[in-house]
Amino acid sequence: MTSAPARSARVRPYAITGGRTSSRRPLLLETLVSVPGFDRAVYQELVAETREIYVLCRAVRSIAEISAGLGIPLGVVRVLVSDLVDEGRVRIHPSPAAAGAPEHVLLERVLRGLQSIQP
Amino acid sequence: MVYRASSPELSPSAISTKMVVAGGFGAGKTTFVRSVSEIEPVTSEALMTEASAGADDLSATPDKVMTTVAMDFGRVSLDADLALYLFGTPGQDRFWFLWDDLIRGALGAVVLADPRRLADCFPAIEYFENVPDMPFIVALNCFDGILPYGIEDVRAALAIDPEVPLLTCDARDTASAVYTLTELVRYAMNLTRDPVFA
Amino acid sequence: MSRKILIVGAGQSGLQLAHGLLQQGYAVTLMSARTAEEIRAGRVMSTQAMFGAALQHERDLGLSYWADDAPSFEGIGFSLAGPDGERAIDWAGHLSAPAQSVDQRLKMSGWMEVFEARGGRVIIHGVTVSDLDRLAPRYDLTIVAAGKGELVDLFRRDASRSPYRVPQRALAVVYVRGLERRAERPDLPVVNFNLVPGVGELFIMPALTTGGPCDILFFEGIPGGPLDCWGGIRHPDEQLELTLQLMKRFVPWEYERARHVELTDWGGTLRGRYAPVVRYPVGRLPSGGTVLGMADVVVANDPITGQGSNSASKCAAIYLAAILAHGIRPYDEDFMRDTFGLFWDYVRYPTIWTNAMLQPPPPHAVQLLGAAGKYQQIADRFANGFNDPRDFFSWFMDPAKAAAYLDEVAGRGAPAAAGSPAPRD
Repeated sequence: MTSAPARSARVRPYAITGGRTSSRRPLLLETLVSVPGFDRAVYQELVAETREIYVLCRAVRSIAEISAGLGIPLGVVRVLVSDLVDEGRVRIHPSPAAAGAPEHVLLERVLRGLQSIQP
Repeated sequence: MVYRASSPELSPSAISTKMVVAGGFGAGKTTFVRSVSEIEPVTSEALMTEASAGADDLSATPDKVMTTVAMDFGRVSLDADLALYLFGTPGQDRFWFLWDDLIRGALGAVVLADPRRLADCFPAIEYFENVPDMPFIVALNCFDGILPYGIEDVRAALAIDPEVPLLTCDARDTASAVYTLTELVRYAMNLTRDPVFA
Repeated sequence: MSRKILIVGAGQSGLQLAHGLLQQGYAVTLMSARTAEEIRAGRVMSTQAMFGAALQHERDLGLSYWADDAPSFEGIGFSLAGPDGERAIDWAGHLSAPAQSVDQRLKMSGWMEVFEARGGRVIIHGVTVSDLDRLAPRYDLTIVAAGKGELVDLFRRDASRSPYRVPQRALAVVYVRGLERRAERPDLPVVNFNLVPGVGELFIMPALTTGGPCDILFFEGIPGGPLDCWGGIRHPDEQLELTLQLMKRFVPWEYERARHVELTDWGGTLRGRYAPVVRYPVGRLPSGGTVLGMADVVVANDPITGQGSNSASKCAAIYLAAILAHGIRPYDEDFMRDTFGLFWDYVRYPTIWTNAMLQPPPPHAVQLLGAAGKYQQIADRFANGFNDPRDFFSWFMDPAKAAAYLDEVAGRGAPAAAGSPAPRD
């Protein structure tokens, strides 16, 4: 028999990454994006799809909703939102884990929410 | 669909989570998502190259045959600041990398099975069996409310582990679909509590 | 001015090129279907034995983070199974420069993190044709380096360079701990190349994986034969068990030292098969845009000669030099074809050699492999051919040149221990 998965990566280029062990959080399909304060000047600056995303995300939208709503392929949305984040134009909402909720707390909250749904 | 008195706009402080609805073609994934969603379910499409089995290069056409892969998703607000997204897997199960994307960060998955075509959900079950730390349950979508055989016979036919919950549902019925999701959450809670599965 | 390059695929070639371009000030976006953590915790992808020239390209970019921890191997051991279960031929050739195999789960995840920490952009997404169609116009150059994805179908098969239409081997890889050294050569770490005529090959090599040093057992089975037997395997333990049974039956001298091995981890197995293929380098998108294919997207050879990661590293070095040399001119189709042409000038040799090695060895090759047991310089020359397969075309790939070389070696008198006079690079 064998042991459980060996997850420990003994050799990592810590010196280079400054001890960082994980990449920036990926943009998941459900990751929420919003424009903190819509700025007309920014709107004028942006072009094409990035402008459309900027407008759409005045209301909170997920990556999947941006893609489907604007008819922009998912991979393109991920690249463009990533650009907009770096430029400080849009904000990424934290994941439940990043928001500080342990998994069982989140699950309990989801369960309560589901049980409150009235058909 | 779930109808809410309030607007379905999400709050500026909202966070989100996700569950996946998988299964074979025609198992009722879209119907299931529709039953729970508070928004009109959305279809997202992507263009793929069609894998030419046997790679025919004799035809000198530069154009590759393309195929469109679609996935449906819906959303339901669980409280003022928490949105749950439901994603249905694409019907063509050869695009596994799309499944990998769908399940990244998901709380868990419901594998929908059509009792008349059980084998159609085998690829989905096999897929989730090989994803570490991803709770999944199997729901038999009984369109007419009748299961032609005993549920333990189905378990044997699907060859799933005894601890994987197996239940029946009606994907058209909101209460039934929501109940199925609560069963998935309860199962996930048990797994996170039980150090054996932690 | 900073030119924008999009690289799809986070393997040996894509990441190596991404680092090279980033170091030269290019704005590089890398798209990967998996996160670094997913790669690290996932399944092994290759055997990735890399020889001196390919490792040098990594050193040139300062990317050899695992060189001190990975076990080096210094030769190629060759064994030919005889009909009686004994070895008809058995020798080891010395490599001029040490070789290493670093589990790509470790290397690619690490390289991806470093790339991002140094300012490269990483987008986690399984790229589709729809994505590329809209993304390519936003970049000065788009390179597809995801050899295992469906995007390879954007690149047409080049029938004139692809002699096979179907897979030539069934592949089965197991990463193990606890393998002992071959008793007859305890001090020379090697890749062991065991050839069982009509059945297939077993390669054994030391490597570094996520949990530390290990060994890789890699069976190549001729389709329809007794090593083409992995269809029913569902569990890594079953694959290890079957691997050991087959070793006992076909290569008992290797089984002896493998009695106590165990899997390194649950991701430490791989099975599959694919048809070797060469494709045209320019992919055309529905809107008319073009993308450049690299490494195994355009040249996918059978792993029987262990050239995949070596060719990928060399391709990345060639593409990097071509992109830098091109300056600010547009990366048009001519550039793409010319750049691939530079790679093909090299990779045609490993391609032809690899395709030949999939066939039963012709008489002159058997003669050379036999003579290598007597003349060390032949064994050494064979070993160093894995580092640069172009050399095989001066002696190994042609009956007349083989005869001339044998005469030359024998005519020089006593079996020599010195290296061959042939150029290595």
